[in-house]
Amino acid sequence: MSEAAIEFRRASRWYGQVIALNDVTTTISPGVTGLLGPNGAGKSTLLKLAAGQLAPSQGEVTILGQAAWGSPEIFHRVGLCPEPDAFWDGLTGRQFLLALLRLTGYDEAERRARADQALALVDLEDAAGRKVGGYSKGMRQRLKLAQALAHEPEVLLLDEPLSGMDPVSRRRVMDLVKKLGREGKTVVVSSHILHEIESMTRRVLLIHNGRILAAGDSRELRDLMDEHPHTVSLRARDPRALARSVVSSPHVLSLAFGSEGEWVTVQTARPDEFYSALPEAAIEAGVLEMYSPDEDLESVFKYLVAR
Amino acid sequence: MPIYDQGYRPYEARRPLRTLRFWPITREALRLLLARRAYLGLLIVSWLPLVARAIHLFAVTRFAEAQRVLPFDERTFGDFLNQQIGFALIITIFGGAGLIANDLRTGAILVYLSRPLTRRDYVLGKLGVLLALNLSVTLAPALLLYSIALSLASEEFLKLKLAWIAPAIVVQSIVVSLVLSLVALAISSLSKNARVAGLAFVGLLVGLEVAHGVLRGIYHRPESALLSLQADLRAIGGALFGNTERWLRFPWPYAALVLIAVAIACLATLRARVRAVEIVR
Amino acid sequence: MRDTSRPLPFARAAGGVFDLTLDGLVWSRRTFWMAALLGLPVVFGVLYRMVLASRLPPQLQPFDLYGTIVVFYYLRNLVPLAALFYASALVADEVEAKTLTYLLTRPVTRGAILVGKFAAYLVTVLCVTLPAVVLTFFIVLTGGGSHSVSAAVPDLFRDLAVLAAGLLVYGALFTLLGVALRRPILPGLLFLFVWELLANLPGYLPRLTVTAYLRSLVTHRPAEEGIGELFGQVLPASLCLEMLAGMTVVFLGAAIWIFSTREYVFDQ
Repeated sequence: MSEAAIEFRRASRWYGQVIALNDVTTTISPGVTGLLGPNGAGKSTLLKLAAGQLAPSQGEVTILGQAAWGSPEIFHRVGLCPEPDAFWDGLTGRQFLLALLRLTGYDEAERRARADQALALVDLEDAAGRKVGGYSKGMRQRLKLAQALAHEPEVLLLDEPLSGMDPVSRRRVMDLVKKLGREGKTVVVSSHILHEIESMTRRVLLIHNGRILAAGDSRELRDLMDEHPHTVSLRARDPRALARSVVSSPHVLSLAFGSEGEWVTVQTARPDEFYSALPEAAIEAGVLEMYSPDEDLESVFKYLVAR
Repeated sequence: MPIYDQGYRPYEARRPLRTLRFWPITREALRLLLARRAYLGLLIVSWLPLVARAIHLFAVTRFAEAQRVLPFDERTFGDFLNQQIGFALIITIFGGAGLIANDLRTGAILVYLSRPLTRRDYVLGKLGVLLALNLSVTLAPALLLYSIALSLASEEFLKLKLAWIAPAIVVQSIVVSLVLSLVALAISSLSKNARVAGLAFVGLLVGLEVAHGVLRGIYHRPESALLSLQADLRAIGGALFGNTERWLRFPWPYAALVLIAVAIACLATLRARVRAVEIVR
Repeated sequence: MRDTSRPLPFARAAGGVFDLTLDGLVWSRRTFWMAALLGLPVVFGVLYRMVLASRLPPQLQPFDLYGTIVVFYYLRNLVPLAALFYASALVADEVEAKTLTYLLTRPVTRGAILVGKFAAYLVTVLCVTLPAVVLTFFIVLTGGGSHSVSAAVPDLFRDLAVLAAGLLVYGALFTLLGVALRRPILPGLLFLFVWELLANLPGYLPRLTVTAYLRSLVTHRPAEEGIGELFGQVLPASLCLEMLAGMTVVFLGAAIWIFSTREYVFDQ
C-alpha cells in the first residue's frame, strides 16, 4: 500500500454550534480518490482542511507529512482548484498563470514554459491573450484547473472541477485526471455528480453529516453491504417459468413481476450464488436481458445516506 | 441575414404591465435594510434631535425666559432640517452605497431586467428605498415637530401667515432626499463594490466641502459655497425658511441650478450604467 | 533551483504580490476618481492664477493658499480618506472577489502577501498624490514670482515627506482595521472625523491621535477656527517622527499577525 499523502487523524471542525466534520480518521493515498457527499455533508470542509485553508478544531490533518495548516511551503507540491468562479478579471489567461507561477518561485523562462504547457493541457492556448473577464464559464473552469496543474504538484485537490464544462472538455479533463492518477499523483476530486466520479475512479470516500460513511473501492463497498439486498431485473420469454425456477432458491428474498409482464425483479442476499445458479434457469426460461439497478455508485450512496 | 430581418416579430405581451412595478424592489430592499439592527439604531439616533427640539419647544412654552435665550420660531424648522441633513447623509452612505453596486457585482441586475421591468422601474425602485429612508429622517420628524408646535404653541404657530411652514418642510425634505439619493445611486452604479461606492460618496462630499473652504479663502465670496452640495441644500432651506446663513448669502436660484445640474448628471450616469450586461473588451 | 522545503523568500514573495496588486490598483476606475479628487487643488491653483491675472486684490498670498491646501485639503481630509479608501480594502477586496484563495495556496507567507499589497497601495497613492501637490505648488507659487518659488522649495519637500508619512501611517492603521474588522469603514470614518478631533484639545490628548504629529511636522499654520485656535499644539519634530514610525510598525505588525492567524472561508 502506497504511503498516505493526506492523513486525517481524529480531525474535527466546527463553526460555532455546527459540526462540519466529526472525528474523521482516514488516509488518502496516491491515485484518484472521489470525495462524495450531499450538500452540507462536509466535503468542502474536508477539502479545505486538506488544503490548509482551515485549521482543525481538534485532531490533526497532514499533507505529505506536514501539518496542512500554517505550512505555506507545502504549496510547492500541492495544487488546489477551488470551487468559486473567481479571477482577477483584468488579467489575461496567460498573465494570470504567470503571476501565480511567479509566486510559486519559478524564474521567468520557466514560468513562460509552464504557463504555455498548462494552457495547452486545458486547451486554452488560443484564448490565453484575452482577458479572463471575457471568458465563458467553461474556459474559466479550465483556467482554474490550469493554475492548479502548472507547477506539477504531487497532490491535486479539485473541488467540482468539471462544473460548467462542455462534454468534450469534461472528457479531456476526466482523462487527464485518470492519467495523473496513473502517474502516481494523489488526486482528490470532490463532486456530487456521481457518474463523473465513477468515470474517473472506483476509489471513493463517502461523507455525510460530517462523518465518513465509507471509504474504498466502490464495487467492494457494494459487496460488503450484505444486509442490503441486491436487486436484479431480468427480461424473459417465459417470465413465470423463470420465477418458478428462481423462487425455490434459499437466497432469493423477494420476487416481483414488472408491469409489462416480461420483467421479473428479484431481490437476493447472495448475489454471487444467485448469478452462479442463474444460467440454468436462464436457458429454461429464455432470458433475453438482465441488469442490476444498484450496482452503481448512486445506489451505494443512497443506501448509505438513507441509513 | 440577421434574425430580426427573417420575419422575427417582437413578443407582444397580452397582459398589460402593472402600474407600480418598482414597488416590490423598494419594499424588499427596505425590508432587508430595516432587518439590520445597526441600521435601525441609526434611524433611532436620527430622531433624537426631534426629541431635543420637542423638549426645547416645551420649555419655551412654559418658561418665557427660555424663549428669550433660545428662541423657537418658524426658522427653527429650517435649522432642524439643516441638522437632519447630516443624518440623511449617513443613512444614504450606509443604505445606498451597495444598492446598485451589489446588483452589478452579483449579476442580480440581469435577474431584475429579465422580469417585466424596465430600467426606469429598476432605478425608481432603488430610488424609492433611499427616498423612503431619507424622508423618514427629514420630512417625518420635521412634520411631527410642526404638529407638536401646533399643539403646544398653537397661539404662536396656528396663524395664516405661518401656513407656509408645512409646505416649506415638504419641499426642503424632498429636495434634500432627492438630491442625496440620486447622487448616492449614481455613485453606486459606477462601482461593483459597495465599500468603494460608499467611500467615493464620502470622498466626494468631503472633497467638495474642503474645496469650498479653499475657494472661499481665494475669493472670499459666498458663491464659492456653490461647490458644496450641503451648502447648496442649506441655501435652498435658507430661502424657504428665511434663515439664510451669512456665508450662504447668494441668490438661491444659483443653488437650485447647481442641484438641478447635479440631478441631471446623476440621471445620465444611471442611464448609462444600469444595463443588464457589460461588454468586456 | 527552488527550495521546496521552505516558503519563498519574503522579499521575492512580497515582490510578486506587489506587482500583481499594483496592476489591479493603478488601472482601476477607483484610482482614476481618486486621482481626480486629489488633483482638484490644481484647478484651485489655476483659478487663483486667474484671480491674480485679473489684477483683483488676492485675499490670500500664494504661500498661504498653498499652505491652506496642504493642511486642510490634503493632510486633514483627502490623505486620510485615500488611505481609508485603499488600505482598508487590501484584503477585503480579495475576500469579496474570492481570489484570496489563489494567494493563500502559493508557497508564500501571509506576511509577505500583506506587505506586498501594502507596498502596492503606498506606491499607488504616492504616485497619485505627490505629483498633484508639486503641480499645485508650482502653479500657485509662480504667481508670486520665481523668488517666492525658490524660497518655498524646502517647504515643498517637507510637505511631500509629511504627506507620504501620513499615507504610510494612516495606511498601516486602516490596513489593520481592514484585516481585523468585517466592516472597517464606519470605524475608520469615526476615527477620522471624531477621534482625530482630540488633536484640538489641550494636554496630552492630542498625542493619542495621528494628525497631531503630522500637523506638527508641517511649517504651515493656517488660521484655525474654534477650539483648534485656542489649543492647537506643535509637538517636537523628533517625537513626531518616532511616534509615526512606531505607529506604522505596530499597526502593520498587528495586521500581519491577525492576517496570518485568520481563516478565510468563502460562502458558496
